[in-house]
Amino acid sequence: MTEASTTSRPGLVEQVIRRHPDPVSVRFRGLSDRTIAWLFISPTIVLLLAINLFPLLWTVYLSFTNYRANRPNAELRGMGTTYYEQILSDPDVWESMQATAHFVIATIAIETVLGFAIAYLIDRKFRGHAFWTTVILIPMMLPPAVVGNFWKFLYQPQNGLFNAIVAPVLGVSPGSFQMLGDVQLAPWSIIIVDVWMWTPYVVLICLAGLRSIPDYLYEAAEVDRASPLRQFWSVTLPMALPFIMLAVLFRGIENFKMFDLVNLLTSGGPGSTTEVASITLKRAAFESWRTGYASALAVILFVTVFGLANIYVKALNRVKQR
Amino acid sequence: MADVRLKGLSKTFNKRLAVDDLSLDIRHGEFFVLLGPTGAGKTTTLRLIAGLERPDKGSVSIGGRDVTHSEPAERDCAFVFQQYSLYPHLTVYDNLAFPLKSPLRRLSKEDIDVRVREVAETVHISHKLDSKATQLSGGEMQRVGIGRALVRRPNIYLMDEPLSSLDARLRSDLRLELKRIQQDTGATLLYVTHDQIEAMTMASRIGILENGRLVQCGTPREIYENPASVYVATRLGTPRINLLPAGVIPAGSEPTGTSVIGVRTEHVVLGDPSSSASKARIGKVERLGDQTFLHVDVEGHKLVLLADPHVALEADRAVGLSLRAPLFFAADGARIHAGQEARQ
Repeated sequence: MTEASTTSRPGLVEQVIRRHPDPVSVRFRGLSDRTIAWLFISPTIVLLLAINLFPLLWTVYLSFTNYRANRPNAELRGMGTTYYEQILSDPDVWESMQATAHFVIATIAIETVLGFAIAYLIDRKFRGHAFWTTVILIPMMLPPAVVGNFWKFLYQPQNGLFNAIVAPVLGVSPGSFQMLGDVQLAPWSIIIVDVWMWTPYVVLICLAGLRSIPDYLYEAAEVDRASPLRQFWSVTLPMALPFIMLAVLFRGIENFKMFDLVNLLTSGGPGSTTEVASITLKRAAFESWRTGYASALAVILFVTVFGLANIYVKALNRVKQR
Repeated sequence: MADVRLKGLSKTFNKRLAVDDLSLDIRHGEFFVLLGPTGAGKTTTLRLIAGLERPDKGSVSIGGRDVTHSEPAERDCAFVFQQYSLYPHLTVYDNLAFPLKSPLRRLSKEDIDVRVREVAETVHISHKLDSKATQLSGGEMQRVGIGRALVRRPNIYLMDEPLSSLDARLRSDLRLELKRIQQDTGATLLYVTHDQIEAMTMASRIGILENGRLVQCGTPREIYENPASVYVATRLGTPRINLLPAGVIPAGSEPTGTSVIGVRTEHVVLGDPSSSASKARIGKVERLGDQTFLHVDVEGHKLVLLADPHVALEADRAVGLSLRAPLFFAADGARIHAGQEARQ
């Protein structure tokens, strides 16, 4: 009796389904909508797993071993948390983290202020508006390798354009200082290139933010007798703030792992004054071939960026909700 | 004294004339409504007065002072926009206090507080003072918008279809509210709308705009009873005025030159088919509850008339129909008064 009722149940359901067929499952007989949806997104998921998640997990695994990429056949030993302890107590690593922090803070501060100012200036109708906007965006469109190499030329002390222009302003001879070779100047030489290359990106995001402010808010403020300065503080800035914060987030994440420009311009030198974390990582991984150690450092950097970005996104959301 | 005087005002956008040689006097303490369909130049007129647009020709003076070339801030107008133009990152309180914090009017914190709470009371938003502008419903936002205008006690209030995006009930509530506020404060108010009910219920005077021109100006009653043209006549009245070619129904003293006869419910006498001027047939009886629309067929033309909700008429019944002092219009749409000839 019970058996009969359980076997008759699916038959009933099937009947109902057959009477109200779903358009997609009619064409792909035997597949539910859900299954078809999964089939469509599965290539992307597989790809994501293969190129994002797997290397991440594999790095975590390697960070607990003494694996060396140049000796793949050597015996693999588990190291526990040895590398993590080494890294966190190594003053050199802390120094490179500090160099990274200085670099990130300086570039973000300059790029944000400069980028917003430029966006504010070009966010109005003037002749050749589109042309100048494009010109401003050019540095961002160049490959970092090109940028790194030609700035290296510009920075040459004897015949570089940078020294030739800056030296007369400072009243010194062009050959008297080396941007890339000086302990004091080398960090700034990289900051200048990064600002040159990536300020346009901040301009672009800020411009989108400024364009999103409806005209009638300015009109309302004008009728409410708000001065231009007050309009800026009470309409422009608060409305554009989420966009500015977004630009800061993107630039922050990017510059925390800054590698290409530094590697091309100074390779971390002179000494280790411009050795940011990614350079330390590259040296450990591909010069000393300490893959396990480098993996541990990579994991630490990942957790740091991930954690900071998460805290920041929470703050960003709070600003957006206001 | 805050009267507004517009003289020969013109404004062109992309070679299209938005406001065309408009002259208008708005008296102090008047509730003046500009009525017209979309694109008639109502909003542009308002923005010209506020100083948000500059006229190509003509002048604007407020309170006897020529402000044609002044900045919006110098004109001391308050503007309520069609969209809720609240500052989204500020609370209701700060939105209301915003105009008061202008350095032009050094008010103390206490004075501002008193004014803000007073106005919040007037527009019934006191309970939401601490909410962010974005957390309000449409009606609440527009009430704050109106409150932000009221808080300043400016020379004149300019309102650009402030109720158009609200639902019907809220609209009728706020309509009464606005009229009451205007009467209590004795303020000069210029109100733009395409809604004839708003115009009829609130206005002390109405100006009808057509393609940027002011075609008639008068009290709601004057404009309803005595429209200057077919265009004006079709702006006011529900159901819309019925337009019949001259001669379909004998109208008695039809002036020469009449080409169109405008017929409203009050111009029609329904009676016995045998004793009336025309024979007609009831087409459809639309019962809306509080009122009833009669669709009447006369000689192949259709009239829509308002009837008593208790009317016993039924569809498909023959009735007699005669006219009582309808409105006569010439071929160009201009009104011809009985006993007068069409202007050539």
